[in-house]
Amino acid sequence: MQKKRQIISSKLVFFSFTIIPLALYSFFYVYSVVTGIRYSFSDWDGISPDYQFIGLENYRKLVHNPAFWRSLKTTLVYTILLVIGVIVLALILALSLNSLKRFRGFIKSFFFVPAMIGAVTIALIWDQMFLRVLPYIGELLRIPWLSASFLGNVKTALPAVVFVNIWQAVAMPTLIFLSGLQVIPDEQYESAMLDGATTFQKFRYLTFPYILPTVTVNLVLIIKAGFTTFDYSYALTGGGPVRATEVIGIMIYNDAFQNMKFSMANAEACVLFIIIAVFSVIQIKLTSRGGVNT
Amino acid sequence: MKIKGKKIQVNGWLVSRNIILGIGFLMIAVPLYLVVINAFKSLKAAGDNFFAFPKMLYLDNFRNLFSDNHYWGFVGNSAIITVISISLITLFVPLVSYAIARNYEKRYYKFIYFYLLMGLFIPSQVIMLPVTKLMTSLNLLNKSGLILLYLAFSFTQGVFLFVNFIRGLPLEIEEAAHIDGCTVMQTYSKIMVPMMKPMLATIIVMDSLWIWNDFLLPLMILNKSQASWTLPLFQYNFKTEYSFDYTMAFTAYLMSMLPILIVYACGQKYIVKGLTAGAVKG
Repeated sequence: MQKKRQIISSKLVFFSFTIIPLALYSFFYVYSVVTGIRYSFSDWDGISPDYQFIGLENYRKLVHNPAFWRSLKTTLVYTILLVIGVIVLALILALSLNSLKRFRGFIKSFFFVPAMIGAVTIALIWDQMFLRVLPYIGELLRIPWLSASFLGNVKTALPAVVFVNIWQAVAMPTLIFLSGLQVIPDEQYESAMLDGATTFQKFRYLTFPYILPTVTVNLVLIIKAGFTTFDYSYALTGGGPVRATEVIGIMIYNDAFQNMKFSMANAEACVLFIIIAVFSVIQIKLTSRGGVNT
Repeated sequence: MKIKGKKIQVNGWLVSRNIILGIGFLMIAVPLYLVVINAFKSLKAAGDNFFAFPKMLYLDNFRNLFSDNHYWGFVGNSAIITVISISLITLFVPLVSYAIARNYEKRYYKFIYFYLLMGLFIPSQVIMLPVTKLMTSLNLLNKSGLILLYLAFSFTQGVFLFVNFIRGLPLEIEEAAHIDGCTVMQTYSKIMVPMMKPMLATIIVMDSLWIWNDFLLPLMILNKSQASWTLPLFQYNFKTEYSFDYTMAFTAYLMSMLPILIVYACGQKYIVKGLTAGAVKG
């Protein structure tokens, strides 16, 4: 009897642990997701008391809106540049750091500093770098194309914004790669060496399979970061010049809070959600095979 | 001959590795160096030579910033929001994770787990507008509202990390405690909390960085009244706030980086380890 009561009471205790988190998450998060999807089928401007459900009208307009396709393309380019930049740099840095014998702890910690600083601070610091430092160097070395800020030029603005994002975002994946590299047993490298494997072969057949699981983790994180990017463009260029850096995150924000197209912005956000879901699934399917499970 | 060839190859790798690390080091060090030195220069001195070490210690930027009462308000807002959010997160996330991890075979807990996990795939833009609407109607466009949001949003990633971590811990100790007559609460506080320390450290670091540096949520929730701004909002609006004095802007950037860099310098070994553990499991 005593025992039974104890089990029932511990069941209740466990249950009570879940109530507050579940309530908060459902109320603020899930409820918002559901209303966001609902509003995307309406014509609400975000302010007026009444609105109507208009079915797929927002989505139809979206498909015919060149600005939407443009920002979609900008976001895609942004994400591709970010993914390539971060993965390649992080891999090179991790391999370099891994082979370091002295000062490894210090250098590793130093390379992690950018990850500590907020996106807005970083964006504003680099804004000044582009505005003052690069032109100064250009003047010093007589390189004319360095004289104006990359952020003001339609062609170079997007790569410049992505560069600033990479500057911060590369630290975390480097660390994850590094921890992936450290589980590779040394004997395997030794036997590969005895077999006469080239540096590339060692990388392709030994290192790469071992770090593939960490590539998956990194890719998921970076792809999501790329598609949902907002801070860097907003703080560096505000989406300009001539909408050259207007990623979807900016378009959604502007449509909702500046242009009073609340329901349209929600439709844009839903499209973004679908894109991220599709990319994540494809990407996980593609990379989850063939790695060494650590 | 062969040995010699090999030696050259190894050196080639070492040289290119050192060049790579050197460039990387400069890419990080130069901007930080410029922020620090120019924070200690007058606008004129910076205009004369942007790269030079300051000839004399010029502290007016700091004096101006610190004598601005608004500034301390922003620092206070950031600190209060971060500290309270993190306290609540470290209270609630491990508790619900513990309940899920130890009752995982029950349908209700399994459902909660996946229900919370779902949030991992939803971009913040989808909830951005409805959340603002909701908070407006509840009169929660203030610090308390923002703290509630951080808590609600922290469950997705936090529970994911914690449940996996707890399920990797041995069950025997808890069973022994149970036989000795410990209640769930006692088992949790006396046995689980000490064992969860690495994960607690990870979540404290990750979520502190997220909340201290966050821009999007404060922009939506706190932008209306200047008195409730956080540091990132202050920095973003710096240009309109002061007639743009970039050496003073650098001072402001330095002052917002400093607390986190000091914390990092003190606990970097722990932080880096904790972050890697969290990330790899995630």
